[in-house]
Amino acid sequence: MLLTPESKVIIQGITEPLGSLYAAQMKAYGTNIVAGISAGHSGQFVHGIPVFDLVEQALPAVGAVDSTIIFVQPYSALDAALEAIAAGIKQIILTTIGIPPLDMVCLLRKAEATKTIVLGPGSAGIIIPGKLLLGTHESEFYTPGHIGIISRSGKPLTGEVALALTKAGLGQSIGVSLGNDAIVGASFVQWLQFLAEDKHTKAIVWVGQTGGGGEEAAAEYIAKAVDKPVVVYIAGRHTPVDKVLGDAGAIIVSQLSGPVTYSGTASRKIAAFEQAKIPVAERPSQIPDLVKKALKK
Amino acid sequence: MDLLEYQAKELFREVGIPVLPSQRIDNARDLKGLQIPYPVVIKSQVRAGGRGRAGGVRFAENTIDAIAAARTIFNLAILGEYPQVLLAEAKYNADREFYLAVVLDYAQRRPVLLGSPQGGINVEAVMEHLQQVVVDQEFSPFYARRLALKMGVKGELIASVSEIIEKMYHLFVQKDLELVEINPLGISPTGEVMALDGKITANDAALGRHPDLALVGAKKDTQQDQKSLSWSQAASASNDCKLNWLNREGNIGILCNGTGLMMATLDLLYEAGAKPANCLILGTNAEWDATPHPGIEQLELSLEQVSEAKGVKVVLVNILGGATFCEKVTGVIAAYLQRKAGRTLNGDDGRHIEDQKKRPPRRDRRLAFPSNIPQFVVRIVGGNSQAESVKDSYGEASEREQLAAMPVHWEDNLDLAIAQTVSLARSTKNL
Repeated sequence: MLLTPESKVIIQGITEPLGSLYAAQMKAYGTNIVAGISAGHSGQFVHGIPVFDLVEQALPAVGAVDSTIIFVQPYSALDAALEAIAAGIKQIILTTIGIPPLDMVCLLRKAEATKTIVLGPGSAGIIIPGKLLLGTHESEFYTPGHIGIISRSGKPLTGEVALALTKAGLGQSIGVSLGNDAIVGASFVQWLQFLAEDKHTKAIVWVGQTGGGGEEAAAEYIAKAVDKPVVVYIAGRHTPVDKVLGDAGAIIVSQLSGPVTYSGTASRKIAAFEQAKIPVAERPSQIPDLVKKALKK
Repeated sequence: MDLLEYQAKELFREVGIPVLPSQRIDNARDLKGLQIPYPVVIKSQVRAGGRGRAGGVRFAENTIDAIAAARTIFNLAILGEYPQVLLAEAKYNADREFYLAVVLDYAQRRPVLLGSPQGGINVEAVMEHLQQVVVDQEFSPFYARRLALKMGVKGELIASVSEIIEKMYHLFVQKDLELVEINPLGISPTGEVMALDGKITANDAALGRHPDLALVGAKKDTQQDQKSLSWSQAASASNDCKLNWLNREGNIGILCNGTGLMMATLDLLYEAGAKPANCLILGTNAEWDATPHPGIEQLELSLEQVSEAKGVKVVLVNILGGATFCEKVTGVIAAYLQRKAGRTLNGDDGRHIEDQKKRPPRRDRRLAFPSNIPQFVVRIVGGNSQAESVKDSYGEASEREQLAAMPVHWEDNLDLAIAQTVSLARSTKNL
């Protein structure tokens, strides 16, 4: 992951309302946005950022691009991401929610083959407080420091956790939003490893919610390979669920036998972390205490 | 969204998966005009699993039998669901029964082909012999043959079974499905294959590009849907305000942005022993930031639904966002309360005589709204740093100040806001 203030960023869908809004916010935060992409708008400028019709058209003008942040409609997101991959961009942040899962399957096959990093769908991107904003994080909740946040939830709950840390005097080294759809592009283990090796990060906070899966693997990896303190918060213990979104076997069992057995509930995720002896906060306000306690050890 | 068997079989027919002649039965009397020769099978068309074991599938040798069976099935609820229609189908002599499915595996993030040489209603047997093939890369028919071989299929049957799997996979991709299942796939003594039952689940996030499937879903009983929460839907319908029912006995309405924050809020309330009644999730992406006008009316309507639902005594607003977003939501709440309070407090428009009678004593005016409006606990965090500039650009009192002047309970701290809500819900008399 290339995350320096100099790294070059483009915004696909810059003329969409959200694209334009967050382009302005990222630019104000100092992010090096070199181009915006929006078919039919080439030659225009959005907040002083030049707009091109196609990603590949922007490259000769701005040089090689490190990251793209995608703000297009759900059914166009796969196409936008494939366009970025075709242009050789290695880091993709999908802010869009509601991308059909089979589009994600298609994108992930391509991303894995080209070693492209994908955050989202529904990702708020990456924030390095005081330095870099790649996405839609609300920067006012963050402050520079040494706690790394990895979130499998949306922007509001991630902001809530950041705010709780900030208020307790615990600044953040980075906030990474993996996205909150059932299928997301990010490898949880890869991001844990990234923060485990990041010299600015002293402790890691994992934020999750009911839905999707993969936390079991994350818990296993933390227990095995992460030396830094990790604190977990998972929302949704009391959330009723009516849909099975787990592995094929679980889905089939629930189909065949009627009453739903749900994998991916908050309780199951919490159990996985507890089993790995990773402290789990009961509420957002408890996270800073657990982090402080873990850091003292 | 789950399709019914007869709807799934219509799709099977379209893609060339063999199905038996069948006829949809809307009323037991329809069986008098049945075009299919007896004996037939009459099947309940419900979405629940375990239909056969519950008595929702019956054989009939003649019209009298068939009508009797249909009447019984129409009156048989399976997991709480009564059939709206039945399916009458020709009887088939299967020598063997297989299980076949294509399903989206959320853990592996890939479609998976599933097959069991022991199909039918015995779940344990199906699962015990279940074979999997992950479609890791772009599909090619060898994936289907691989499954057939793992299932122990031999000889000429390999080609016919894998052809069915192939067609199921194409249907799965073409219609953006979560699941296509054939259980059982009947194998006749001569090696002919037949889809005897079918189940299809469409992906809700993709319905927008499959008008044919969306149309099928529109026919669905909507009452069924209202009872349960569907978080995946809430998350994908980010553009809309989504009202969800939790508990009709509850007394707290919740307005939140983002599914995750809503889940956190609900956890805190439940753990404090409170009874949430409903919740409204605003779009996670801050559409409100960017689009000034559309949506505001909808939000106000939804707010009305949250706060005016039967039994709601307290409304908890928990919003975290940027300046413009917070300001906008604050404005909507202020406008809503002003409209309600103005109407009922003044009671001078002549249309609210009922409300006038219920008017609280004058001294309470500043402290409480009329008793038919629930108490509001408001936590709107964000945009504080920019509040001044927002105020300047409006050139008048900000929305926040307008709302602050109303009898709502402001609280920036989440734990305290929860505590306040719970205590108000306990102390406030029934409306």
